Amino acid sequence: MSKEYRKIKTKLMIIIAAILLILWITIPLYWAFKTSISYPEEAWNPGLPTKVTFENYIQLFNPYPFAKRYAIGAEAALPQPVIVPIKNSFIVAIIAATISTIMGMFAGYNLARFHYKGKRLAMYYILFTYIFPTFMLAIPLMIILKQIGLLNTLQGLIFVHLAYTLPYSILMLRSYFMEIPIELEESALIDGCTRSSSFLRITLPLSAPGLVTSFVFAFTLSWNDLLFALILLSSTELYTLPLEMNFFLWGGEIVDPIGLSTVAVFTGIIPVILYMVLQKYIIIGLVRGALKR
Amino acid sequence: MEYKKALYEWIYILPALTTLVILFIFPLFFNFWISFQEKLLGKEAVFVGLKNYIKVFNSPILYISLLNTFIYAFTAVFFKTLIGLSVALFLNMKFRGRGFLRGLAILPWALPMYVICVLFWLNYDAKGTFNNLLRLFGLKPIHWLGLDYAMPSVILINVWHGWPFFFMGILAGLQAVPIELYESAEIDGASSFRKFIHITLPFIKPVILTVALLSLMWTMGDFTTIYMMTSGGPVDKTLTIPMASFQIAFFREVDIPLAAAYTIVILPIYIILIFITLKQMV
Repeated sequence: MSKEYRKIKTKLMIIIAAILLILWITIPLYWAFKTSISYPEEAWNPGLPTKVTFENYIQLFNPYPFAKRYAIGAEAALPQPVIVPIKNSFIVAIIAATISTIMGMFAGYNLARFHYKGKRLAMYYILFTYIFPTFMLAIPLMIILKQIGLLNTLQGLIFVHLAYTLPYSILMLRSYFMEIPIELEESALIDGCTRSSSFLRITLPLSAPGLVTSFVFAFTLSWNDLLFALILLSSTELYTLPLEMNFFLWGGEIVDPIGLSTVAVFTGIIPVILYMVLQKYIIIGLVRGALKR
Repeated sequence: MEYKKALYEWIYILPALTTLVILFIFPLFFNFWISFQEKLLGKEAVFVGLKNYIKVFNSPILYISLLNTFIYAFTAVFFKTLIGLSVALFLNMKFRGRGFLRGLAILPWALPMYVICVLFWLNYDAKGTFNNLLRLFGLKPIHWLGLDYAMPSVILINVWHGWPFFFMGILAGLQAVPIELYESAEIDGASSFRKFIHITLPFIKPVILTVALLSLMWTMGDFTTIYMMTSGGPVDKTLTIPMASFQIAFFREVDIPLAAAYTIVILPIYIILIFITLKQMV
């Protein structure tokens, strides 16, 4: 009897805990999602929307979408089409992630396989860059980029984003290479492969999930950056999504809740999709990258 | 031969290391150099010695922002640890739907910080969800980003975003605890509370410490949340170190060398924390 009673009690507590967890996560998300699929007249209504539309998302790809709908001001003073920052953000994040995955691949391989003097120092340095709070780099990097003529360019922003992405890529890929048994490479060496070709032919194909994880992680880190974009970019046609979104909040008043929530949901959903697809690898990669040397 | 081998090994890591030196060490020294200069509009920069540092130490902003940063970071890390640990313990139990909840739990971490800020803008609004909830329970709506609640409100955002990192780290730590230990404790008739205190906690303590230290560093350096939500306001209530140096450089004094000196002054705090964190990690 008491055992049965305890079983029911545990089950009930699990259900309550699960509900609390779901509410904690979904309440802040729900409102933005609801607003993004509402018609303008229902934008601020609490509760469920009575009519649902996906028009707002399609409007993202049209020029001057929200301004046209609300007919506010002259067109010259209006924000640019949202597709421009979407494109910029994609360009920056894809290139930064590619560069950082390639560099991280070689560096991670070096740290996982080779033994030499100074390796420990290199490892400490990479961990240092992983922890270091990047806001301290913003002002000096701005001045450096200005002097070499890369201020207010996407190239400059891509380069600077490596400060976020590269330490992650190196640490993550290092732990992936360490998982792959070294015997596989050694037998290839015996068969007459050079060290490089055994790396390219044996280890690299086996670490494909690691490379994809590193790419996705670097992509989202670059996609998430507000600070560097804010300091380095000044022309609106180069704006990335966080800067564009800031435009909606100008003055602290939400003029256009629908436009704002639509851009936010669209921007947020891209890394979320990537994370969900690679959920297993992301957790492993993140935890290993962060916690093990 | 020996030389060739060394070169061959270094060539793998050289591009990455060079990039990281250009992106970290070089700017740090450059920042140091800037902090001893004065740059007036339309004039060449001149060396002024410690002038900027004297200004920084005499400015109340330094002390306000230091205090705010500590309040922000320590409170946020405390709650993130608490929530992350509870959820990790909960989702380490065996029941149906656990996989789904684990997937859902990393959702806040997967979202970009500035997107989360926008979500909370919509929620914090006078007509937003949180005030609607308060009305539902018969309470008065709150001015979330006003003078009284600005700091707790930005902390809430940081906690909401950051706890899954603790959850993931602690869950990985929990999975490394050998089951045999629990089994032998059960034979001895230990209660679940005692099992937690004597087996689980000692095992996951290093993980919690590492994750907490990393998170502390990143929360102290968090710029996005504060910038998007309050920009340091109202009346400097949420002015943290990153926000303050940004404001000094571009809005308040519009004095880049002063902002550089500002970041140099707080660098020692970071160096000590980074040193502790590295020791914990390696």
